[in-house]
Amino acid sequence: MEVAVYWGCMIPTVEYAYELSLRATFPRLGVKLIDLKGVSCCGSPIKSVNRLAADYLALRNIALAEETGTEHLLVPCNGCYLSLSEALHHWRTDEELQGEMEKFLDKEGLTLEGGIKIVHTINFLHDIIGLEAVEKAVKKPLTGLRLVSHSGCHILRPSKILDVDDPERPRKLDDLIRALGAEVLEYPESLDCCGAGLLLSHPETAVSLSATKLRAIQGLGVDGLVDSCPACHMMFDARQETGARAIGYKLSLPVVYYTQLLGLTMGLDGRSLGLHLNQSPVEKLLERAQKTFP
Amino acid sequence: MGRRALTLRDLTSEAASEGELRERIVRELGSEFQSCFRCLRCTSGCTSMKLLELRPHFVMNMVKLGLVEELISSGIVWTCALCLKCEERCPQEVSPSELITLLRNFSFQREENVPEAYLKVVSSVLETGFIQEPMEVVSREFEEFTRESLGLPRLVGPREAFSENLIELMTREAG
Ligand code: SF4
Ligand code: SF4
Repeated sequence: MEVAVYWGCMIPTVEYAYELSLRATFPRLGVKLIDLKGVSCCGSPIKSVNRLAADYLALRNIALAEETGTEHLLVPCNGCYLSLSEALHHWRTDEELQGEMEKFLDKEGLTLEGGIKIVHTINFLHDIIGLEAVEKAVKKPLTGLRLVSHSGCHILRPSKILDVDDPERPRKLDDLIRALGAEVLEYPESLDCCGAGLLLSHPETAVSLSATKLRAIQGLGVDGLVDSCPACHMMFDARQETGARAIGYKLSLPVVYYTQLLGLTMGLDGRSLGLHLNQSPVEKLLERAQKTFP
Repeated sequence: MGRRALTLRDLTSEAASEGELRERIVRELGSEFQSCFRCLRCTSGCTSMKLLELRPHFVMNMVKLGLVEELISSGIVWTCALCLKCEERCPQEVSPSELITLLRNFSFQREENVPEAYLKVVSSVLETGFIQEPMEVVSREFEEFTRESLGLPRLVGPREAFSENLIELMTREAG
């Protein structure tokens, strides 16, 4: 199965571990990724300064994806997933906007049909590939590992437009982790926001929010946190130390992308999954995982 | 891609009056946005309430009272984390977060209180298409890596017509 992939800004400019692990694991599930040329920012941060410009950015990326002719467009970043889904919704429901955008897209030699289905890593794996196929790809199950998940805000809300998962009780990421053999705990703070949306305006508060959530998770005594958004991941992984200083609490929690975990269970080498790039103490999790491997 | 030095002035238009601002809010969000009955559900679950004292129902009410200027000059709209819980949970189906985003747009047009980091992102997107160029990262063992050394394909950004479009969209008066 061929799938166009739109990486956005954060993944291909700094969150390389997500890109590496997705590129390493998806082909093993029978998915061929098709890269796009000429794409740009999804519009997410631009929406705060100009809503119309944000829609244009999102729609031009969708138009580029449609040129590949694939049924689905995979968008691994939550922020991009929301931007593209929202802009497509605006475009479908607002004729005036359609006419307006046509002019701008035309100048770039682009046309938008609006038929491509936008999917995120989580619902793509859960709904299209399916839990069974994921389970089948597992060679080294994570038996005995106790983990928690963070789905993130922008694949859940607003549920009027998005349909990745239940907005108040998401379960798909948990199910996907269980498919790898690990135990998953529910926890009261699971819907708490990572704070990344405040990084550009109130960075101190942003890291306090992510660190507060990490502190709660650490208190559960789990082996690690699993996420699947580059912005959330950066807050929990790369900014873990800064956050710990901000709230004055020692944090030492392994944080990994779901695709990294998936790759591990497929028996792939840690470096090919970018595990050397995580800034949180993932060794702890890797050691535990090694022990469980038969 | 050709580079053109941009100033914030290039991207903003003449400030609109209070009345015009309120008209624009109704035009862009629909008049239903005024149906908030102050149940406070938005505020009780707001990500930014505890640390930044944001109260989305209060922003709704300020606009209803016509105090748009005050909201913009207070800088309060930049305390929202855009978690969208308020929009999701509002029983009246109005969206404080969408209103806040629109007020941010106004504050950009008036060059009032826009955090420096947002301006940086805007100029980067105009110049390169992305919020930033691919960065060098460091592993836990302090080895340095680039996209190239990690074996990742080169990032190909958009062509010229893209930034022309973006500048046109951002310089014109919305609506
Ligand atoms: S949840 Fe909706 S109706 Fe209730 S106070 Fe907030 S905006 Fe108003
Ligand atoms: S989107 Fe903003 S105003 Fe709404 S709940 Fe989240 S932080 Fe609060």
